[in-house]
Amino acid sequence: MDGKKRVAKSKLSTYRYYFLIALVPFIILVAMYEVMPLIMLVIDSFQLDKDPSVAFSLDNYTKIFSTLSYQKAMENSLVITLISTGVGIVVAFLGARAAHESHGRYKRFFMAVLNMTSNFAGVPLAFAYMILLGNAGVIKQIANMYGIEFIQNFDLYTSNGLTIMYIYFQIPLATLLLIPAFNGIRNEWHEANELLGGNTAQFWLRIGIPILIPSLFSTMSVLFANSLCAYATAYALLMNNFSLLPLNISASFVGDIKTKPKLGAALSVVMMLMLCIVILFNNFITKKTTKWEGR
Amino acid sequence: MSYISFENINKQFGTNHVLKDINLEVEKGQLVTLLGPSGCGKSTLLRCLAGLEQVTSGKIFLDGQDITDIPPRRRGIGMVFQAYSLFPNLTVYQNVAYGLKIKKMSKLEIEQKVTQMLDIVGLSDKIKQYPAQLSGGQQQRVALARAMVTEPKVLLLDEPLSAIDALLRKNLQIEIRRIQKQLGITTIFVTHDQDEAMTLSDKIHLFHDGKIEQSATPEEIYAHPATKFAASFIGNYNLPVVAEFNKAFQCDFQNESIAIRPEIIVLSKEPVEKTEQTLVSQGVIKGYTPHGSLTRYNVDFDGLQLNADVLFNNNMAFDVDDRVYASIAKDQINCF
Amino acid sequence: MNKHSHKSAYIVMTLVIIWLVLPLLATIIYSLFEDWTGIIPKGFTLANYESIFTNEDFLTSMYQTVLICIIPIFITVLIMLLALFVVTVYFPKIEKYVQILCMIPYTIQGIILSVSILILYANSESFFGNRMVMLLGAYCIIILPYIYNGIRNGMRAINMNMLLEAAEMLGESKIKAFFKVIVPNIISGITVSSLLAVSLLFGDYVIIRNLSSTDVNNMQQFLYQTMKRSSTEASAVFVVIMLITFLIAAIVLTIQSRSSSEKLKETGK
Repeated sequence: MDGKKRVAKSKLSTYRYYFLIALVPFIILVAMYEVMPLIMLVIDSFQLDKDPSVAFSLDNYTKIFSTLSYQKAMENSLVITLISTGVGIVVAFLGARAAHESHGRYKRFFMAVLNMTSNFAGVPLAFAYMILLGNAGVIKQIANMYGIEFIQNFDLYTSNGLTIMYIYFQIPLATLLLIPAFNGIRNEWHEANELLGGNTAQFWLRIGIPILIPSLFSTMSVLFANSLCAYATAYALLMNNFSLLPLNISASFVGDIKTKPKLGAALSVVMMLMLCIVILFNNFITKKTTKWEGR
Repeated sequence: MSYISFENINKQFGTNHVLKDINLEVEKGQLVTLLGPSGCGKSTLLRCLAGLEQVTSGKIFLDGQDITDIPPRRRGIGMVFQAYSLFPNLTVYQNVAYGLKIKKMSKLEIEQKVTQMLDIVGLSDKIKQYPAQLSGGQQQRVALARAMVTEPKVLLLDEPLSAIDALLRKNLQIEIRRIQKQLGITTIFVTHDQDEAMTLSDKIHLFHDGKIEQSATPEEIYAHPATKFAASFIGNYNLPVVAEFNKAFQCDFQNESIAIRPEIIVLSKEPVEKTEQTLVSQGVIKGYTPHGSLTRYNVDFDGLQLNADVLFNNNMAFDVDDRVYASIAKDQINCF
Repeated sequence: MNKHSHKSAYIVMTLVIIWLVLPLLATIIYSLFEDWTGIIPKGFTLANYESIFTNEDFLTSMYQTVLICIIPIFITVLIMLLALFVVTVYFPKIEKYVQILCMIPYTIQGIILSVSILILYANSESFFGNRMVMLLGAYCIIILPYIYNGIRNGMRAINMNMLLEAAEMLGESKIKAFFKVIVPNIISGITVSSLLAVSLLFGDYVIIRNLSSTDVNNMQQFLYQTMKRSSTEASAVFVVIMLITFLIAAIVLTIQSRSSSEKLKETGK
């Protein structure tokens, strides 16, 4: 590089540093309301509610993993999350495939319903299900009239009821996330499979699902986070009368009973770790299953 | 009965009549081309033979058997698509082996056949690569191997070279013809490229608007196009307005249209005598385009413009604005 | 095979639609009738709607919802426009880090974000200890992934660096060119992501419950309180919330389909 160019370049690069000013608002916002709070959360999780003088202790964590109610909260959270994620991804697979195979007005209607309902969760969802399946719910009354026992015996205000609602809000989200992946499956592959003697099941087993695996897993990790962190649906249905991670976390900060913010911080960290494990697992799967994409 | 025969095939998509009463026969071991502009129905006919589309009416016979209502997977047909038909998550080897695996052949047999077929298409060194790592031409060769390895009764090629650049395309055309002859496999090739059709085929079926316009050998179709459309689609025929042509060359054609190949118009600077067999007129060179071994002159005969091909002999025979005499052998003019 | 698979596709879509629409439909009907104890509801009435639209608290919560939805979106869009402009044009190397920072809220979601902000500022006597400020800060962060993606995808789609260079050659400064050429071109992308952010904030319950003081309520909280008192009135609140959510989704869909059909026209397909 000759001298002139170098001078010009260094001038340009000092000049471009003025533009860092435009980044300042972003940095302030993120630092104040995302990074620092999260750091504080982690620090707090190692301190004690009873004794503020202790600088570092693992007591909160040992307490979480040894107390029955917190164990139950983690178990409930994980079970509901895994079931709703599993059912959600299967229904979404079928739904996205159906949307991929069809055209025209009915598909547009289907897409519109998905889009409309994908934001439908939380308090309104819990309320709608109370109208439908609550103790005096519409379906309950119909079931009572005709003596349909399994609906009569169904209790919405349990983890079963919660699971049904979680499945409700997972389906539109998961389907919308999967549809673009299905559009990547070309018609020629279906046709080639058929001409080579394969049937539909063989196509999906050997070609379709292997191609979709990365999308399926990344959708599942979104569903997992979405369900694990869901607060409003559970709170509206059961208030704090149920052991569930988000309910317990929130209750240790805000509530009528005595708050335990340090323990709540530790619970939050546990929840974050669960999310991190899922994300890392997802990254691992993606790396393993997309070998064929690269050049 | 021929090896493949289509009998009165009709195909409608809604109100759109894509195939109109098609009758077509293909002999065993031949390579025939379905040629025509896009949207003429040629691909649809191919897809009907493969079973990927249902015919609206008519019957299709393959090797003496009525296959009209048989599902694609039991028709014994191999097909190569325009592009991107390889399974992206499988290696070259796995792609070619796919059909054999579904037939539940033994591992050893599969390996033998796949290796042999990859050898024939010249990709033995790419066995472990994924389609994304191959060029477009290589991908189509794998697709060819995948279609042929199951030893289908007939091989269908649906514009397999349309996404490949010109130079490679010529090579692959020759390659496809070589492999087809080597294996003696009955092949139907769909294309919109007349040069490609001429290079490859034993027989060309020219499609236009859902009907077969002409069925003939490449030589025949080139020398004697049966209709005005055939003349306009094949070669570089001059298609003058008959009245204008009659005026310029003082003749009296009564046909609806005539077609004149550029190479039968003979140009010279010296006056030429009109005879019983030839037509003569005088014109002015308006421009030219070099085409390798020949030069195409655009000649104006009092408002009537015709193209004439002259062999390139190290120097240009004529210049722009030269006055020339043109003679045309009468019996070489195609009349419809 | 084709006919068969189409039939099963319709069956699947119909079942999913029934599953998704049933609770909504039931609640709508519930809100419009006096009595629904048999199969057929009796006594059509609009009384529930009358009563909520004359309820001062409901109107206040509606007004407050609009306010606390719109302010954070304006702030975040502006901040992200500035940040992404500088990063893509002058410091492409740090783009990765900006992206990570913007995607974190997507994983931690409302519950963890709200309690961690609570830990940091709840006991502060300063401006930052103000409940409204905490709420707005949390809202700005929670919508970050959506706004980031909207602006980023927009910039990618129009090949921003090339456009800026072209404008520079015509004698325009980069900053001016950014606001004159780039922003108008990505405005529909920004609108879509802002609307997605609106519907996210509109549906928020956990952040506002954990962070705001009792005198600030959004419609979700109002619904929660109403449903403890009267389920018929709550059903009317529900319908209003649902209509607003659907309206936002419908606007997003129209903008998206319009811009995609424009793209199709441009490429001539």
